[in-house]
Amino acid sequence: MASKKVTMKVFGMTCDDCVRHVTKGLTDGGAHDVNVSLESGIVSAIVEDTDISPEELTKLPVFGKNSQYKAQIRKLE
Amino acid sequence: MAESFDVIIVGRGAAAFSAAIKSSELTSGQASIAMVGFGPLGGTCVNVGCVPSKYLIEAAKVVHTQQNPRYPGISSTAPKIDFKRLMDSLREAVLEERETKYENVVKSYNNIRVFEGMATFIDRNNISIRNSSGETTISGYNFIIATGSSTKIKNIPGLKETGYMTSDSVWDMNSLPQTIAIIGGGFIGLELGQALNRLGSRVKIIKEHVTIAPGIEPELGEVLVEYLTEEGIEFLSERVVTGVSKRNEKKIVTISDISGAEDIEVDEILISTGRDANVNGLGLEKAGVKYSERGISVGKDLKTSNPDIYAAGDVIDQRYKLETLAAREGTVAASNIFNNLEDGIEYSEIPWAIFTEPQLASVGFLESEYVSRFGKAKSRVVDVALVPKARILRETHGKCKIVTDAETGKIVGVHVVSPYAAEFIIEGVYAIKFGQTYNDLIGKSHIFPTVSEVIKLTAQSFTRDIEKMSCCME
Repeated sequence: MASKKVTMKVFGMTCDDCVRHVTKGLTDGGAHDVNVSLESGIVSAIVEDTDISPEELTKLPVFGKNSQYKAQIRKLE
Repeated sequence: MAESFDVIIVGRGAAAFSAAIKSSELTSGQASIAMVGFGPLGGTCVNVGCVPSKYLIEAAKVVHTQQNPRYPGISSTAPKIDFKRLMDSLREAVLEERETKYENVVKSYNNIRVFEGMATFIDRNNISIRNSSGETTISGYNFIIATGSSTKIKNIPGLKETGYMTSDSVWDMNSLPQTIAIIGGGFIGLELGQALNRLGSRVKIIKEHVTIAPGIEPELGEVLVEYLTEEGIEFLSERVVTGVSKRNEKKIVTISDISGAEDIEVDEILISTGRDANVNGLGLEKAGVKYSERGISVGKDLKTSNPDIYAAGDVIDQRYKLETLAAREGTVAASNIFNNLEDGIEYSEIPWAIFTEPQLASVGFLESEYVSRFGKAKSRVVDVALVPKARILRETHGKCKIVTDAETGKIVGVHVVSPYAAEFIIEGVYAIKFGQTYNDLIGKSHIFPTVSEVIKLTAQSFTRDIEKMSCCME
């Protein structure tokens, strides 16, 4: 099992509740060690390749068409 | 280090604006957006396209109506035209529209920054911007190319030396040319040709093909040409312009066909032979974006050959060059970027129009296109003269053609030449989008009396003899 650190830019977060919402959406989707910066919109998370791909993270329901949050991958390590 | 943006939009017309605004909306105003380009904000439509042309067309309609009142008992009058004043007011209308719909709009978004200059890709993530003040570089995570199109100028001997107008420069006119040769019988040539003719120019439209603009049902094109000819426009079809020169104060256009060459003497020449995608100088090779002289190649989701770069509007290699389509493509590109989607546009649901009088409006397949793709089709054509409102208006030139799938009766094309056709072609859009049949169209009440009843009558002609029907009958 290989781990990857995904750094994303998340748009649409305005308060601590948004941070909780995005964190929960990512962990429910299979990511762990989620870190969210409300100020910069930069979110990092660890994914295991057996659980979810980095690209699929940005398509989770928390970032869906009807959600106010949108995510884009900025870095993969 | 180069300043970085979440989205860089190359261009500043309809597609660019809608892409920028949608990007801002989808990110709750948090995406940093750069819009790079030159020339007046708003692009072709507001500055040199739809807005000034429709203004001139409506002004010319007033002149025509005064000279040719439609009702007995109202006498004809010859209006005095101050052409310079008319053109000054047209230019003011353009400025006002540009200020209201573009300049003020962009100022209301704190996260959209407008850069003035020519953008060139340095690599897949960076562009340089050159203007009179120098050169700067910015970098981006996402790109949308929306640089639009410009008038295609054919290589005609003597044209450059003799001088000519295009649909970009015609709006600078301050005096009406007594005679004008319009090279090209497309949308622009027909619209401006009728407007200038109605204002008092003698207009000759020179075109290489028998038909007028491409993508028109032949019977509808014929009725439009017939009416424009009645108004006094001279169509010189199947002629090639082989040279242009100057003799005294006149311009000479040499045209030829199979029977030989002929010189036409005019005061002015207007070139309207189509539009070229603005791809030159963008450095697309360095960005890995494939293109041809027809424009940038995109997939259904508007991605270019570089998946991080999208394109929208006239710069795309596509059949239609329309403001509404460009704006829609800008929106779809932005949505695909931020929603991580691969949505496309159903081009057979995109309506378009020629704003002559009568207007020509169209959506969907031509009969010939549908037959060549699916083997067979069923169609009906009805004269606008059968519509009571057209007779009340005393404007009975026109036809409506509906094309359906031969097996299911589903509407696949609606094409109309009539008064106000552009105002009601949306009914055809809905019919195609929602898979309606001619029976569905028949089963919807249309307001009586309206010209739009022509669509219902044409649908009814699939099932009965419409000359044996009373008013509003279903």
